[in-house]
Amino acid sequence: MPVRQNLWPDGMRSCVALAFDVDGPTGNAMLDGSIWRNPSFFTLGSYGPWRAVGYLLDLLAEYRIPTTFFVPAWVLETWPAQIKSIVDRGHEIGYHGYQHEAFWQLTRERQQEVMAQSLALFRRHLGLTPSGFRTPSGDWGDDTIEVLLDAGVTWSSSMRGDDRPYFIEHGPSGRSLVEIPGRWELDDYASLAYQRSPDFPVGLDRIAPYETTFDNWRREFDGSHRGGLCITTLFHPKVSGKPGRILLLERLLQHMRAADGVWFAGCGEVAQWWRNAHAATGASA
Amino acid sequence: MTTMPRWPHGQRMALVVSVDFFDTHAILTQEPRMAGREKSLSVWQYGARRGVDRLLQVFDEYRVATSWFVPGRVALEHRALVQRIHQAGHEIGNASFACEDFDRLSLAQQSECLSAAQAALTDVTGEAPAGFRAPFGNWAPGFTPHLRAAGIEWSSSWRGDDRPYFHPSAAASDAPLIEVPLHYELEDEPYFTFNLYPPVPVGQPRIASYREVLANWRQDFAGFHRFGLCLPLRIHPEILGSAGRIDLLRELLNTVRSHDDVWVATGREVAQWWRTHYRENEPGHPVDVLAPLHQQASQL
Repeated sequence: MPVRQNLWPDGMRSCVALAFDVDGPTGNAMLDGSIWRNPSFFTLGSYGPWRAVGYLLDLLAEYRIPTTFFVPAWVLETWPAQIKSIVDRGHEIGYHGYQHEAFWQLTRERQQEVMAQSLALFRRHLGLTPSGFRTPSGDWGDDTIEVLLDAGVTWSSSMRGDDRPYFIEHGPSGRSLVEIPGRWELDDYASLAYQRSPDFPVGLDRIAPYETTFDNWRREFDGSHRGGLCITTLFHPKVSGKPGRILLLERLLQHMRAADGVWFAGCGEVAQWWRNAHAATGASA
Repeated sequence: MTTMPRWPHGQRMALVVSVDFFDTHAILTQEPRMAGREKSLSVWQYGARRGVDRLLQVFDEYRVATSWFVPGRVALEHRALVQRIHQAGHEIGNASFACEDFDRLSLAQQSECLSAAQAALTDVTGEAPAGFRAPFGNWAPGFTPHLRAAGIEWSSSWRGDDRPYFHPSAAASDAPLIEVPLHYELEDEPYFTFNLYPPVPVGQPRIASYREVLANWRQDFAGFHRFGLCLPLRIHPEILGSAGRIDLLRELLNTVRSHDDVWVATGREVAQWWRTHYRENEPGHPVDVLAPLHQQASQL
């Protein structure tokens, strides 16, 4: 279905909300404690915040792409200088759990604790209050929307089921989140991530060719741009911020920069635009 | 904010080629159902039969000194072959005794594997190894002093950086162990290892496209070159030493040799350089973040 021509500001044709999840070594192995006996896996994940974020920030500066980084608060607590450099260079920070908790498996109280703990760390280390959230491990519970809204979150980038933003309504209170959905096709885990013990992919499928990965991502952008839609990415510094893959991202940014009428904006800015643009017409887009 | 490391003679980057000559031992540890399966095991025996000599020939052609990791048992079982590798000027490192999975061993057992391998390798080559690789990547907290006591100067087992780093020392007076960290995308096994039954890899993915893997490696090389890093190529004689794949190594080395600012060195040389030109890790290094938590986890 074609979208309205005036979907984006200033006559822009399509929107790119580039985003990275700076998970580092957080996730299930940290939540169950096994990572502390697994130095290879701990160091593999740490490469993202420790080293790759620096390369990415230089690349994003060169192509002037405002970007959203979703940061588990444990990563901020552990590498505050690296995460502060993201903010110092003009990018946005979003919530991503404390240690990448799977929200759909947490009680309401535990979700509230994770949000409060994260906020305290964002305020202490960065002096800021994030407005957006990407749910770690992709799923959330029935009560998560309310937990997020009560925590002051106004937008999310957690779902997969659309190619443009939409509103997620919280019926009882009349409040809503703007959702900026991602797609697995633009998740670098689906093509490039690889690790042993714990194995990923579970069957130890091969690392994809960079050339065909670039071609897939390029086509995802081209289709979105042609249709006047919005893409965000689920890229990870530890996966696509590695030295050889920076060159892959560089090609993608070059390709997107060469197109006319692309609105590059952080997820928060896109969400604000969407809310303002649809304030008069209500929630449906 | 990203800093480029310094390398000798103004070279832009370092490249360390390491070869895991594990014969059947790593696969038997990883996949115990492999025991007694002669056809399957012969996949891994191909290294000693053909792959080692083919790799040595290419390294000679390109005048590349490399670091081989050999379990003690492989040195005893393939004494003449390991001597030939050593006499060709390559470094022989310790890869435990029979590719034991250290995650299943106590610290004392890990130390025994290290010592037994160190004795075997010294006996076979006449030189005590200075390098160590944990075949499955991990060791127990407290193992680093055992490595140093055994004469090990450097390791290439862990990950987390694109340049060497220091393992924390037990005492300030100890010369620290240097790590030359690995990257899966620069290993041949994730792309190529294959056996039908028992299945390796477990999900039976297709063998990767040779052409595309070479293209990936060339792009990884270009990235490491751009940022001036230490590229660790990790290969196996039974995988890259086959008649059909050996040219991937040649073509990659052609790319490397088309640059005049790449320091191709053994792990030991890189570790020595790092030790004499750097004093410590930058603050917040993952290895230093992990150290107290690793120690704590072992006491639970």
